[in-house]
Amino acid sequence: MFREFKFLLSLWKTNLAAAMEYRAAFISQSIGMILNDAVYFVVWIIFFDRFPSIIGWQLTDMFIVFGISASAFGLAGLLFGNAFNLGDIIVKGRLDYYLSLPRPTLLHVLASRVVPSSFGDFLYGFISYIASGQFSLGGLGRFLVGVALATTVFLAFLVLVQSLAFWLGTGSIFTSMAINAIITFAIYPITLFNQTAKVILFLVVPAAFMGAVPAGFVKGFSWSVLGLMLFGAAGFLTLAILVFHAGLRRYESGSAIQTEV
Amino acid sequence: MPAIQVTNLTKTFRAKHKAAGLSASLSSLFRPEYQTIEAVRGLSFEMESGELLGFIGPNGAGKSTTIKILTGILFPSGGEVKVLGYIPWKQRQKLAYHIGTVFGQRPQLWYHLPAIDTLILFGKIYEMEDRETRHRIAELAEAFEITDLLETPVRKLSLGQRMRCEVAASLLHKPRLLLLDEPSIGLDVVAKQHIRDALREMAKQENVGVLLTSHDAGDLEALCKRVIIINHGQIVYEDKVSTLKRSFLTSKLVEVRFAGQIPADFHIEGTETLKVAKERYGAKLHFNTRLTPVEQVIAALSAAGTLVDITVSDPPLEEVIAAIYEKGVSPSP
Amino acid sequence: MKKYLAVFKINLLNCLTYPAELMMRSATILLFMWIFFQLWHITFAASGSDIINGLSLHDTMWYLLLAETLELGRPRLARVISEQVKDGSIAYLLNKPYNFLIYQLSSGLGESLPRMGMLFVLGGALVWAMAGPPPDMVNWPVALVALAGAWLLHFCVNSLIGLSAFAVEEVAPFEWIYQKFVFILGGMLIPLDFYPAWLQTIAKSLPFAYMMYGPARLFVLPDPALFAQILVGQLLWLALLGGLLTLVFTRGMKRLAINGG
Repeated sequence: MFREFKFLLSLWKTNLAAAMEYRAAFISQSIGMILNDAVYFVVWIIFFDRFPSIIGWQLTDMFIVFGISASAFGLAGLLFGNAFNLGDIIVKGRLDYYLSLPRPTLLHVLASRVVPSSFGDFLYGFISYIASGQFSLGGLGRFLVGVALATTVFLAFLVLVQSLAFWLGTGSIFTSMAINAIITFAIYPITLFNQTAKVILFLVVPAAFMGAVPAGFVKGFSWSVLGLMLFGAAGFLTLAILVFHAGLRRYESGSAIQTEV
Repeated sequence: MPAIQVTNLTKTFRAKHKAAGLSASLSSLFRPEYQTIEAVRGLSFEMESGELLGFIGPNGAGKSTTIKILTGILFPSGGEVKVLGYIPWKQRQKLAYHIGTVFGQRPQLWYHLPAIDTLILFGKIYEMEDRETRHRIAELAEAFEITDLLETPVRKLSLGQRMRCEVAASLLHKPRLLLLDEPSIGLDVVAKQHIRDALREMAKQENVGVLLTSHDAGDLEALCKRVIIINHGQIVYEDKVSTLKRSFLTSKLVEVRFAGQIPADFHIEGTETLKVAKERYGAKLHFNTRLTPVEQVIAALSAAGTLVDITVSDPPLEEVIAAIYEKGVSPSP
Repeated sequence: MKKYLAVFKINLLNCLTYPAELMMRSATILLFMWIFFQLWHITFAASGSDIINGLSLHDTMWYLLLAETLELGRPRLARVISEQVKDGSIAYLLNKPYNFLIYQLSSGLGESLPRMGMLFVLGGALVWAMAGPPPDMVNWPVALVALAGAWLLHFCVNSLIGLSAFAVEEVAPFEWIYQKFVFILGGMLIPLDFYPAWLQTIAKSLPFAYMMYGPARLFVLPDPALFAQILVGQLLWLALLGGLLTLVFTRGMKRLAINGG
């Protein structure tokens, strides 16, 4: 375990060096993303100004939910950026490179890239939380925990969906739809959805774990909510790892997408 | 113990048959048609530690599939494989510590960074001590003459320079076996020479086994002692490179220059005149050593005039190999 | 003229060759329409009245459908053009005996029409099921005219952003921010009618309202006065932005020619 962590650290360091080679782009994309997120949020300010509360959900809640989702999205892109194009890597046979090296394949693949704009998202999440008016030191601690767990669920979901490429070849259409889905649903007030929809948002496209649940946790500590988040994170993570490795076995049997003989 | 032991290796793929057009692609969605490809059919060979083995064959012969199985990326449909004592697909991570790979078409060095950053990262990947890594980098830099290139971003290097760095990177962790897949693709003559020399030296010094697949016969001649020719998933020929050239094709090329002029229709018994030089001071001949002994030709040439220069050479290896692909199985004695 | 028609046709056919894929890609609109419906039907219910600022739930949903159709269906010209500039392939396109901008327009239209068609049909089916039948077909021509104008406005702005690749390294941030301005000031997620008065005035004095709000609003509640207003606004902004585009383009070409291309 510890060995792999050391390895991850050096991988992240190398990533950072590569990103710094294009410092201007990195910075402009990060700033651009902060502006992008902020401007998008204005819509919600307008909405809640007009309709102050939809079934118990208020503007400050939106700030927090946005904060968690944005930071989770950003952290995923910063630490495990290849989660966004894992499907592509699989289809193009580029897994071979990672397979021939003595480190756990999934970890190695995921951590080998940084998405430049992610830093902007990550920062913005904090800005959004601070602007919520509910900021407190205790809350910040819960925010960090929430972000960590939300990131885990998000990454696990990405890996799950991208692993479809092992079976479907270019499954990238489903992938982009799924990514759209989880992000979109995560930032909408959960009170909008009926029971069936809520089940989907917990078990199928775990947007609830990426937005509403951690946001609730930030507002006030609760053992049950913490337990729920941990359960969700552990569950999806396990599932993702299992599915990926099942797909990897298929890849190694050659029946996935072999072109060179 | 041999470095590589392959016994009766077979690998069959099922590839989905992709059809064009709307109705075809819709029907393939619901009832996919599969094509069976027998990539490898009963391959058996061995490679000793520290040996230099060439593995050649035309496209589709099964080379890449075999290499992938040897590195554990693919598992076979049948047969047994042992690489450095490991079963590759079952103990891939363990095996990975002891083998190095260079795939001509798939770079390992991070494109935007100087090569040294990748090398340092590799040191971490192979769990080497920092000091060990630095020492090793210096060693390799000298051997491959890349000391000045290490700090330049890889994207700014020429292909030849990049390949030298790639090969160096594959040797960082002192592997016992190095697998090279088309390493000299796209390189110019000088660059190829450079890499071959450095590689040969390193292999000798460190007793690294080298398994090389290539289309370039020059790679084989320069690097390999033994060659396996594979086609249609089976071994077609297996022997020392020198034997290959000697025993398989028996034609020789002779180029001569005389002190005096020779007639325009210059001819030696038992040979074929390919060309007479414009000034008629020299000629190029060809003959079959099984029909005409070398001695006879040399003697006849000496008698024909005062020899100033003579070169007797083998046909290019490409021709030899192409002939084997065409003829198929066993070489002539 | 004929050559542009040919360009248009080939892009159109290219898009239609894989109808299954077109359908898949367009399925994202289902996601958005569903979530919008959850948001708005609860909002309308909570507000206690059937009509908000002149629009009913039914109107709002069809408004949003048209807005999303345009947003998801318009060609991503900013990215296309900026990549052509960055990798130099623009040189090939400029060497051809046609006008670069009109070429982009025809090819963009060719790929965009089938996509918008599919989006409208798929999304429309869902909205019909959830909120009732589409607005009277009598309204449609008027909306279509406005839609065409809006499409052209998007084309101008996107091309300008794409061409800015001559000057800036990263155009992505501009793209994102532009899109967000359209979201807010074009009334993409919330009809402009729901905005506070002062914000509506600002929005209507900027081009974004004519890029989104115009056609969407005319689709659900057309009236001659509004149509005239939108049309005039579109023409004015088209003249301005189109003129700017031509200026930037010719200036840029001159610079390119002088520098040796």
